[in-house]
Amino acid sequence: MNEMLMPLLPELALFALAVVVLLVGAIRSSAYGGRVPLSDGSSGPARPASGGPAGWITLLGLVATFVLTFFVDEGISILDGAFVQDGLALFSKRLFIASAVLSVLGSLTLRTGAFSRRSAEYHFALIASVLGMSVLASARELILLFVGFELMSIPLFLMTGFLKRDAVAPEAALKFFLVGTASSAVIVYGMSFVYGAAGSTMLSDIPPALRDGPPILMLGMALLLAGLGFKIAAFPFHMWAPDTYEAASTPFVAWLSVAPKAAGFVVIIRLYLAGVGTAALVWAPAIAVLAGMTMVTGNLMAIPQQNIKRLLAYSGIAHIGYMLVGLAALSSSGVAMMLFYLVAYTFGNMGAFLVVQAVAQSEQSDRIEAYRGLAQRSPLLALAMLIFLLSLGGIPFVAGFWAKLYVFWAAVERGMYGLVFLGAILTVVALYYYLLVARRMYIEAPERAEPVRVPGLLGIAITACVIGVVGMGLYPGPWVTLAQRVASTLFS
Amino acid sequence: MTRLPVLSIMTWAPFVSALVIMFFARRRPLLVRWTSVVGTGISLLASIWVYWAYDRAAAGFQFQEEFALVPSLGISYLMAVDGISALMALLTSIIIFAGVFASWTTKERSQEFYALLLVLVTGVYGVFVTLDIFILFLFYEIAVLPMYLLIGIWGSSGEVRPQGIFGWAMGRTGVGTKEYAAMKLTLYLLFGSAFILVGMLALYVATGSRTFSFLQLQTMTFDPQLQTWVFLAFYIGFGILAGIWPLHTWSPDGHASAPTAVSMLHAGVLMKLGAYGFMRLGMGLLPDAAVDWAWLVGTIGCINIVYGALSAMAQTDLKYVIAYSSVSHMGVVMLGLATLTPNGLNGSVFQMFAHGIMTGLFFAIVGLVYEKAHSRAIFAMGGFGTMMPGIATAFTVAGLSSLGLPATAGFVAEFLTFLGAWSSDFQWWLFPAVLGAFLTSIYVLRVAGQIFWGPKSPDPHFQHLPDARGPEWAALGILVFVLVLFGVVPSIAIAPVDTATGPLLLRLTGQ
Repeated sequence: MNEMLMPLLPELALFALAVVVLLVGAIRSSAYGGRVPLSDGSSGPARPASGGPAGWITLLGLVATFVLTFFVDEGISILDGAFVQDGLALFSKRLFIASAVLSVLGSLTLRTGAFSRRSAEYHFALIASVLGMSVLASARELILLFVGFELMSIPLFLMTGFLKRDAVAPEAALKFFLVGTASSAVIVYGMSFVYGAAGSTMLSDIPPALRDGPPILMLGMALLLAGLGFKIAAFPFHMWAPDTYEAASTPFVAWLSVAPKAAGFVVIIRLYLAGVGTAALVWAPAIAVLAGMTMVTGNLMAIPQQNIKRLLAYSGIAHIGYMLVGLAALSSSGVAMMLFYLVAYTFGNMGAFLVVQAVAQSEQSDRIEAYRGLAQRSPLLALAMLIFLLSLGGIPFVAGFWAKLYVFWAAVERGMYGLVFLGAILTVVALYYYLLVARRMYIEAPERAEPVRVPGLLGIAITACVIGVVGMGLYPGPWVTLAQRVASTLFS
Repeated sequence: MTRLPVLSIMTWAPFVSALVIMFFARRRPLLVRWTSVVGTGISLLASIWVYWAYDRAAAGFQFQEEFALVPSLGISYLMAVDGISALMALLTSIIIFAGVFASWTTKERSQEFYALLLVLVTGVYGVFVTLDIFILFLFYEIAVLPMYLLIGIWGSSGEVRPQGIFGWAMGRTGVGTKEYAAMKLTLYLLFGSAFILVGMLALYVATGSRTFSFLQLQTMTFDPQLQTWVFLAFYIGFGILAGIWPLHTWSPDGHASAPTAVSMLHAGVLMKLGAYGFMRLGMGLLPDAAVDWAWLVGTIGCINIVYGALSAMAQTDLKYVIAYSSVSHMGVVMLGLATLTPNGLNGSVFQMFAHGIMTGLFFAIVGLVYEKAHSRAIFAMGGFGTMMPGIATAFTVAGLSSLGLPATAGFVAEFLTFLGAWSSDFQWWLFPAVLGAFLTSIYVLRVAGQIFWGPKSPDPHFQHLPDARGPEWAALGILVFVLVLFGVVPSIAIAPVDTATGPLLLRLTGQ
């Protein structure tokens, strides 16, 4: 019994946490006679942060689960190999949970009425989604993979439309939902082909079948790639991202822009790389083209954006392109560098969104004009934003530089000079729009003098991201070693 | 020889003083300035010491410092100088030391201004004295990025006209002119650094051994095809910073919009960074391609000389004249490199130094004139020589050096380069080069005559203008002194440079 359950420790913990949060929500609402009193920001200082017990339980529970992942023996596989806790699975689980912690730190400071009334619902959905990702990261079997996918995605639709009285949130949620379910359908469709051709749902049975496989198997794998392209918002499946980001609550978007994409990448690695050997090279041109198009689209579309969240959405698409460059190398070092990029992107992108949250709370605006003169109003907040932007732009001494350098490196080793060149030129385009934000913050004069008030928890989350970005930038060694170790287990 | 890590001290002293300024000098403008003077003064002393103690008989790379930074990737902190980099470090020190005095009167946010300026200088030193090409790239980025804020915040607007694709982009985003110039400069230079990065990675992967050390890469021979395209990547990448035509257009806009000290540093030193990087990496690591493509480099150098001079003639804004003259003079540098002759290479390096000092002096004077007369329009001003004789004299000395009058550093540089061009495979290069020198004398004398020595302007604003004061004299004095010193005794620069260009030529042409 123990041997069966020990490998599932993080998943079980998440499940238990989800149940507890749901119960707490139920108890709290019954204590108020079935209704939690309406509280908006004006209800006085008695309730400064609105998360309530559900939020705090989620926060502590996630931290505890994060610690638990270190007690799982690496390399265990159960259910006849359908569920593994290998290096990649544990690495990505820690990434999902850590980013969720940062997001919760941000959302605990939200003062919108809905977040305090229905705090339990929100956090339950969040935990369920993390659970889905965790299953996904470990799944080595098509059905389990799909279940994990749905468990991850459906709560995301819910959370996007969480502010249901808001004018734009339901629309964005619907758009996200339609695109998401369509992509799920494509994935299932692809899976049916793969199953039909390979005769098995186990991933380990696909590579042998692929070697001399019928074209229908390739069709299935191509459909799967398209479906996964939706999930990671790669070109041409990226349309949902900007609208969703703009409408949903910012701390959630910070997490949405990172964790589900990381999960999508893990699945791509599992499906197209792990254990396939040289047969994987079939996919190199397809992924390379996808990478190039995604970089171009993301970077060019970001230029005219006037809303910081849309800007970050498009820049996020571009970053997906860069990660695909690492993936397109289809080598151990390529995957390692992509994982490094993922971590760097997590810190940089979440940090930027959390600063957006701080400014939005104070200025009631997501427009880039709201950042005017921020450096003179709140020098530290502006500096943090500058560091995040420079990291996303790939400037030395912050994490993003190493991330870009490493993925380029992996691609150069494969001789993909053209793709690297395109990527390098597009980093300059990216710097243009990042510098436009920096210009607002540093060069233009502020309209008001009083500093932007940053709630304590949000400050902690932003600080954590700054430490992550600068730490990885100044001393990338350990992270590279970790990523290389994780990637090398896949190719043994 | 000393065990003191003198190169690291030279490189990091400005950085440390920048930190001191950021953390301890809030709202104490005088302390900010004196900290900068001390920081750059230490660097100046260190670079003079390095230059003095450099063993010319032994030649090669000296004052070596090394420790492994990322051993698994072969990145190490490797510092050393040869004759060329010692001279370039000295140039950097002189310009920044004078620049600190020249921007003494900066009022707005002077704390951040000096801090950024000093950080930038650290990057410049780093590029000149490091031999690990990866670290070189990092320093290069440090030298480029602060420029955006320096021009964007402290620059001057209203004189730059956005044009072309950038103009379109700026029009859409509603950006004023100094922001436009800052963005254009930053993007151009980062565009260049993208080329450099790709070329660098390609070389690194091609070696098969994990090293970024110039000393080891130098001993390897690369495949001809790889050499060709990496050479072209380096040429474009570093060439943008060196202002090669037609990728030079960031330079007039950027230099004209920048505050005084930044113009001095940028035109005086940063453009040399491009030429230096091209010489060190492009020619030093890829000798075969450098010989094959010398025709291109030299021809574009000639275009630079004539085009820059003609553009300078057409300007009515004093700062633009100087900025375009930089484009023209950097053509001389690139031409000298392309001649592949001892005289040409020595002349090229000497021109880097001479032009650095001269342009620094020019921009310092333009800054002073603007500060006193609040005008840069050449034809509105007139007869300033009687009111500010010191500034007028300094301008004339710089101008004479610019047009290559004997007994100034500019003469030595141009003469050597022309000799090199004549003895190269492309003798016709000499004609555009000499034409450029002739055109230079036209625009320089025209400006000097109009503003300083001609009849007095009737404009009431220009009737009672003061001459340079206090710290400003320091800036002018240092630069004029160096300009004449190196013109009268050129051997103090040529001797060490020759020890470095000799081995480089040996690798390039086998003689």
